[in-house]
Amino acid sequence: MIKQTAGQTTQKFLVIDDHELVLNATVNALQQTYPAAEISTAQNAYDAGQLVAMLHPDLVLMDLSMPKTAVDLEGGRPEVGIQLLRSLLESYPTLNIVVQSAYAKALVRLKPMINAHEAGFTIADKSLPLKDMLTKVDWALQGLVCTPREMRTGLELKPEWLEVLKLACEQGLQDKAIAEKMNVSERTVRHYWTQVQDALGVYPETGKNIRIQTEKRAREEGLID
Amino acid sequence: MRKTLRQEWNVWRVGALPGLAIIALITVGRLAGTLQYLELIAFDYMLRFRPAEPTDERILIVGINEADIRQAQTYPITDAQLAALIRQVQQYQPAAIGLDIFRDLPVEPGHAEFVQVLRSSNLIAIEKVLPDTSGLTINPPAYLPAEQIGFVDTVLDFDGYVRRNLLGTPNLQGEYQFSLTFRLAEKYLSQRGIPLSNGKRDPRAMRFGEIELTRFTANTGGYVGADANGNQVLINFRSGYQPFRTVSMAQILAGTVDASWIRDRVVLIGVMSLSEKDIVNSRALIGRNPNLVHGVEIQAHALSQILSGVLDGRPLLQVWPEGWEYAWIVLWGILGISLGRWLRAPFLILLGLGVTGVVLIGLCYGLLLLGWWVPVAPALLVLLANGAGLTAALFYRHEQNLKARIQERQLVIDQTFTAIHNGPLQTLAILLRTVQDQEPSQQFLYGELQKLNQELRTVCESVQQEAFSQENRFRISQETTLDLDSPLREILYAVYSDTVRRDLPNFKTLRLKLPTFDQMDDPYLTIDQKKGLCRFLQEALCNVGKHAQGVTRLEVICKQENGKNMIRVIDNGTAIDSTSILENPALTARGRGTEQAESLARQLGGRFQRRSNSPHGVICELIWPVVKPRFWRFRSSESANRI
Repeated sequence: MIKQTAGQTTQKFLVIDDHELVLNATVNALQQTYPAAEISTAQNAYDAGQLVAMLHPDLVLMDLSMPKTAVDLEGGRPEVGIQLLRSLLESYPTLNIVVQSAYAKALVRLKPMINAHEAGFTIADKSLPLKDMLTKVDWALQGLVCTPREMRTGLELKPEWLEVLKLACEQGLQDKAIAEKMNVSERTVRHYWTQVQDALGVYPETGKNIRIQTEKRAREEGLID
Repeated sequence: MRKTLRQEWNVWRVGALPGLAIIALITVGRLAGTLQYLELIAFDYMLRFRPAEPTDERILIVGINEADIRQAQTYPITDAQLAALIRQVQQYQPAAIGLDIFRDLPVEPGHAEFVQVLRSSNLIAIEKVLPDTSGLTINPPAYLPAEQIGFVDTVLDFDGYVRRNLLGTPNLQGEYQFSLTFRLAEKYLSQRGIPLSNGKRDPRAMRFGEIELTRFTANTGGYVGADANGNQVLINFRSGYQPFRTVSMAQILAGTVDASWIRDRVVLIGVMSLSEKDIVNSRALIGRNPNLVHGVEIQAHALSQILSGVLDGRPLLQVWPEGWEYAWIVLWGILGISLGRWLRAPFLILLGLGVTGVVLIGLCYGLLLLGWWVPVAPALLVLLANGAGLTAALFYRHEQNLKARIQERQLVIDQTFTAIHNGPLQTLAILLRTVQDQEPSQQFLYGELQKLNQELRTVCESVQQEAFSQENRFRISQETTLDLDSPLREILYAVYSDTVRRDLPNFKTLRLKLPTFDQMDDPYLTIDQKKGLCRFLQEALCNVGKHAQGVTRLEVICKQENGKNMIRVIDNGTAIDSTSILENPALTARGRGTEQAESLARQLGGRFQRRSNSPHGVICELIWPVVKPRFWRFRSSESANRI
């Protein structure tokens, strides 16, 4: 899976973490997997904001806990990371984002913004091994959405996503036709698909067709007849 | 960016309407002349409080005072005495002499000598060309040529004060005559090689060298429909306690006056005694007699402004074109409105008003020092009216807010009482009766006590939640509180996310949730209103959890659409309780939730509704407009809570 996106044209990553050791480990792991990628780093929210505006990275990999500026006496704290994430989601709808955090629950309130985000968005639990993080990076680069189960209250779908499911599975329409019918772009339909997949907890597995998996899960949940 | 602008425009469109009305009112009032009096007084005082200018040494006033008259032992002063005075002055070779004393008739003795002295070429004598109330004028000395005659008519404003100087006007016979001031100025300036010509901007104005004497028109500055006949100019009075050197007749005759005070200067001879009624009013001058000025002094000011204007570049008074003046007034009016738009606290508005008021007066004062008379009174009036009106409205609103909060508290107390009365007290009563009547089983006692415990806890929890409403935070549950300064959609989503996790009976059957939380910002919501919205959503969701039996699908919509914000909760359960309330008008007892929701809807100027969903379920919704008239809406208390 990982090899799919690795080593293509020069990709630009920005890694944000206020702990130098963790930062180095993350950068090393990323550099090994994506040898051609240009990787920049930031240790506080201010620098991160500036770098994103300057570099237009393909992907931001960020910790939630961070200080506001290089001289922030209060040190790293999750509110700062949440504020940064909020502004990234607001200003860069096509930026792929991976959030590395142990406090996924703090992100619940941003769920509506994440739902509206048009690019990849994944959350990697910091306590899991690096391999898991690399998978989440890969998914985010593919434009997938993956949020942990704690962020949802059971099965939660936006009405538009449900409509995409119904048009695809009950009427057998292709994305293009769905887009026409719903009066949105094809890109938006694809974005709805990734959100539906996340809501149903369907993620890429080697050798399996994700759309078919999604349809299967939707039937199990009774979303479609 | 465009969206922000549009939102701002919406706020202004509705909110600024009363302010714009006040601007229009004051503009129309000014056009109609109602503000003329105020403007002229303001003009006078600003002129009066200018810093003192140095004494104008080009002019010497010889004032015949009470002591001189006493010494002459006759009044009017005889021709012989005047002739002696003039001859004495002539010895020092002045540039010109203005004799500001009427001499249409001989005052013997010494008339023949007087005629001879007067004919000396550098003297100008006076006449009055415009009729007084009896229709009479005063003739010039008949033996002098026309070039040696200037009139001394003054134009008084409707309030009796002097602010203008008449330079030239046709007399009753239709012949164009010039004033004493003009004759003296022309004589003095032509000696210095500065010719008189017609104005460049205004061909009917007079021009000495490059300096044009701007003609006064009927609507100049603060004037509306003033008498602008002839050729008039505004007088830029010379400020200070000693604008001119003044000596008495006795001093001249005694030869004690420094010759350099007279040589090549203009000497104005006039009467400066209160027994002679040659006195006019001016507020613009600082003097010992408030507002009273001798005629000869006014002549000196009028002459001085022309000479210093041409020779020293001292500013002559000018005004903006009328369009500019009105733009200026509108600008200050808008500033007054913006004060209220950007500074919401009454105290800050008052402060801002003070600062901008001082800046306005300072600006006008500064401009006047440069010779520009700009409208200060109407601008100040419109600024204060807009700013202060707003402050009053805010105070009113604050009070309304307080009232609403007290009402809410009272409601909480009532509800708490009812809750205790209907819940734990009933259980306790049953328990007591059972204990008295029969031997209750251990199991029954345990069950009842547990119930009591539960009921009391519920009451505690709800009271606790209310007690937190002072702060900036909303308490979702025992462990979670929300920062209400976050964006509205995040707050509402957090409430939703927490509430549907609660352990309520009907949430267990829920299969599918369809939440839509779109951008919905209303920057003018108060903390209390945000709290109310959280409570509303919480209540609506709890109702589903408690009453919507067999619900499988829950739709929650929080979004902004067509300028309205909406919170809508739709379920598909069979809501026995809610529908019975809907369908049975006999059940008028309304829950606390409904009451709070309706009060909230009133506050927001919106609408609360609970209705049946087909085929099953209930739709519970609150819709309120995003932008509402904010300032100056005294219409009802409902909007008064929104700032």
